[in-house]
Amino acid sequence: MQAVEAIQKALQELDRPKLQLLALSSVGIGLTYFLVWRRKAKKSIPLGDGWWGHGQQTLRDDNKIYPFKVETSEDEINDLHRRIDQMRYTEPLEDCGFQYGFNSNYLQKVVSYWRNQFDWKKQVAKLNEYPHFKTNIEGLDVHFVHVRAPHRPGQKVLPLMLVHGWPGSFFEFYKILPLLTDTKDDLAFEVICPSIPGYGFSEAPHKQGFCSLDAARIFLKLMERLGFNKFYLQGGDWGSLITTNMAQMKPQCVSGLHLNMLAVTKGGVGMLLSLIIGPYLPFLVGFTREDVRRLFPYFEKNVYDLLMESGYMHIQGTKPDTAGCGLNDSPVGLAAYILEKFSTWTDRKNRDLEDGDLEKKYSLDDLLTNVMIYWTTRSIIPSMRFYKENFKTNPQNRVDARTGIFVPMGHAAFPNELMHCPLPWARWRFKDIRSYSYMPRGGHFAAFEEPRLLAEDFVKFVRKVEGKKR
Amino acid sequence: ILTAFIIHLQHFQSSLQSVLLALVLGAVVLLVLRRSKAAVLKTEDGWWGAGSPPAGAEDESIRPFRVETSREEIEDLQRRIDQTRPVPSLEDSQFNYGFNSTYLQKVAAYWRNEFNWSKQVDKLNQYPHFKTKIEGIDVHYVHVKPKNLPEGRTAVPLIMVHGWPGSFYEFYGILPLLTEPANADDVAFEVICPSIPGYGFSEAPRKKGFNSVCAARVFLKLMRRLGFGRFYAQGGDWGWQITTNMAQLDPTAVKGLHINFAPVENVGPLVILSILLGRRFPGLFGFTELDVKRLYPRVEKMLVEPLKETGYFHIQATKPDTAGRGLNDSPVGLAAYILEKFSTWTDHEFRNLEDGGLERKFSLEDLLTNVMIYWTTGSITSSMRFYKENFAKGFYPPHARIPVTVPTGVAAFPNELMHTPKLWAKQKNHKLKTYTTMARGGHFAAMEEPGLMAQDIQKFIKVVEGKK
Repeated sequence: MQAVEAIQKALQELDRPKLQLLALSSVGIGLTYFLVWRRKAKKSIPLGDGWWGHGQQTLRDDNKIYPFKVETSEDEINDLHRRIDQMRYTEPLEDCGFQYGFNSNYLQKVVSYWRNQFDWKKQVAKLNEYPHFKTNIEGLDVHFVHVRAPHRPGQKVLPLMLVHGWPGSFFEFYKILPLLTDTKDDLAFEVICPSIPGYGFSEAPHKQGFCSLDAARIFLKLMERLGFNKFYLQGGDWGSLITTNMAQMKPQCVSGLHLNMLAVTKGGVGMLLSLIIGPYLPFLVGFTREDVRRLFPYFEKNVYDLLMESGYMHIQGTKPDTAGCGLNDSPVGLAAYILEKFSTWTDRKNRDLEDGDLEKKYSLDDLLTNVMIYWTTRSIIPSMRFYKENFKTNPQNRVDARTGIFVPMGHAAFPNELMHCPLPWARWRFKDIRSYSYMPRGGHFAAFEEPRLLAEDFVKFVRKVEGKKR
Repeated sequence: ILTAFIIHLQHFQSSLQSVLLALVLGAVVLLVLRRSKAAVLKTEDGWWGAGSPPAGAEDESIRPFRVETSREEIEDLQRRIDQTRPVPSLEDSQFNYGFNSTYLQKVAAYWRNEFNWSKQVDKLNQYPHFKTKIEGIDVHYVHVKPKNLPEGRTAVPLIMVHGWPGSFYEFYGILPLLTEPANADDVAFEVICPSIPGYGFSEAPRKKGFNSVCAARVFLKLMRRLGFGRFYAQGGDWGWQITTNMAQLDPTAVKGLHINFAPVENVGPLVILSILLGRRFPGLFGFTELDVKRLYPRVEKMLVEPLKETGYFHIQATKPDTAGRGLNDSPVGLAAYILEKFSTWTDHEFRNLEDGGLERKFSLEDLLTNVMIYWTTGSITSSMRFYKENFAKGFYPPHARIPVTVPTGVAAFPNELMHTPKLWAKQKNHKLKTYTTMARGGHFAAMEEPGLMAQDIQKFIKVVEGKK
């Protein structure tokens, strides 16, 4: 009280000009302080730059966009058949299901279908149903599919980029594309599905160091080149990280970010506490009953299971060139390696089954088309290198792991996803979560396995974001 | 996990904190430390053939075996090499991303055009091979007797067990040094080199669960069948694990155990203490200069380096059938996978060389002969399953907690994958008779430095036999 009186007295003693000066400088100091403080709370990460072509960069980027058609030839198909015929079978152990990896007996059935019934020419025609393009960014030919919505009166069309992961491809989105582009109601999407450089029809980087930050920047440049200033993003697996990075680099361009997989990078005391208290008093740490059901027993589900399933990640993150070498000569080896994931990551219980229940949710045609994308482009090794490039620097210390995400975010939590991330954990990094849904069924390859569920949740998320805008 | 935690205690850098910690841990050590009781490893019989074991006694005959090849086999190999689809390595990546693509093409060209498999098969057959059925599967081995034994002397029986991705062939350089030693007062050995079931010419088990203890039991039966009541055992890599298990299963049969690989399985309080304080007080723990160089800095040497090199281990211990599938169709893929180890595990520095330093210590002829053993027998997948079988019950199976009570000799090669100071080796091997810091050499010691290895085996034997 006395201090206030003293200040009042001091102010009264000042003459007008001094008072004005005091007022102005106070405002000035306050404003500067406010701006500096706001900037300290980093809302974006630096863009950086890169060049990934052969040798030295000599020419400037050719900004043109070229149409591209997937093609095949008799040679390609005959070569594949010849190699399949040369497979040297190894008998599986008795009663091992898929516990030792892809079961050799079931593999023979898959391979026989591939050799005798699978029609690659027909699948190529299917791939070409949507228009493909290539454009050169940072020295690499980047491939993408561009699907426009048919013009319907009264329909708002929003741009959207869908990013795939490993061992998937743009093809995973072929079932969800019509659900997003060809809708009958007031909302539709114009969709871009790129291939991550090093995957499928996108050229592989020739230089070391190409990580998700670089892929994010390249995809931002792609959207800019296509004339999109603001757009939605959707992704799972590597796509989840790349789209998150995109939202961190240019938040002003991202209307909303929808993810079906969230990796928990920042653990810490909060996570530990919620793990200890969670099973007993879930509400205290913000867990729902469904969270508890999906997370616990924690050690078994998250540590042990993760150890059992991350061998591929370990070898690809350290010796990708060795890991992929044999797979690039043996189509059967490649199929076993890739399809094992489509079995186990769809439902972990599939490990106990002789056929890994592969054909329960997927057709062999679709599965093998995805494998053929890796096979015909010889991209298995570059696709694996992506793991090493991202784990080179400690992922927890990288700039994107230390920065939050401020764009509107939506998460579709599928029950058989590899890791479950409860809402309170997601909130540590994502500061504007508009939608969090427990999906009734589905695993890691959500767009491929449950396109309708994913599309519904995505649209629900978009409506929430668009609704708030008005 | 515990070790990783200990390694992360970098916070305790100040001397005062170190001393305090030492006092606390010292107390714990005194209270908790007790020598594990000399328990004997137990095991049950097994049967690994297809279906159920047939009625009646097993055929125990020993059949001579010859390695054979055919034009078909060689042409098929050459055809597949021709079909390789190489992918260029990243600029300036050498061997850091795995086997370098440019150098791999050179190896493939040599393999395709110069390597003479028929000649190598003859070389393999210079020693007599045999097969015999044990627990339902055919076990292959090489049996080498000394040719010129002086009067009144008997050869000392010795079993040498290989590892992954090696084979009995790794011992072809050391065999003459052991069976026909140059020195008159060196011991002459009669050597048995078996192939682990699932590797090379030994049949692969058809049932789940064939781990190192099972292999040890099978090899004990083999030695018994050959009439050896007491013998010496030598091994590195899986060979270390199997020969150790043999000594644990039947300490009376194994006269002495010589190993060139001795990773710590059971991290006790003394080991932890030495990790924490060994750098500052090496004398306390008997740490040599090499020990300190190999173990510190802790995080880099005990966490980062092993993580970088254990990807193969992780995938083979979880999904061996997937991991091996492509390698059984692509000889070049198989060669890259196997030879990457012969490069990196000989010297980690080789990762920074364009050619992985592969031909500095080995000849392409020898390296590819080893690869051909995996290729012609189609045994890469079954060889990988051994990893999964051994870690099915976690990292601390019963045999990891039981000490070794037979006389042991350790040859510590400076570039071995995991370095074990004498103190740590003593925790497991209670009768450590010799511990030698070798002058040079890495993981594939017998193949890389046969002379040094033979010398150390002689030194060890003399200590054990001398005492008698």
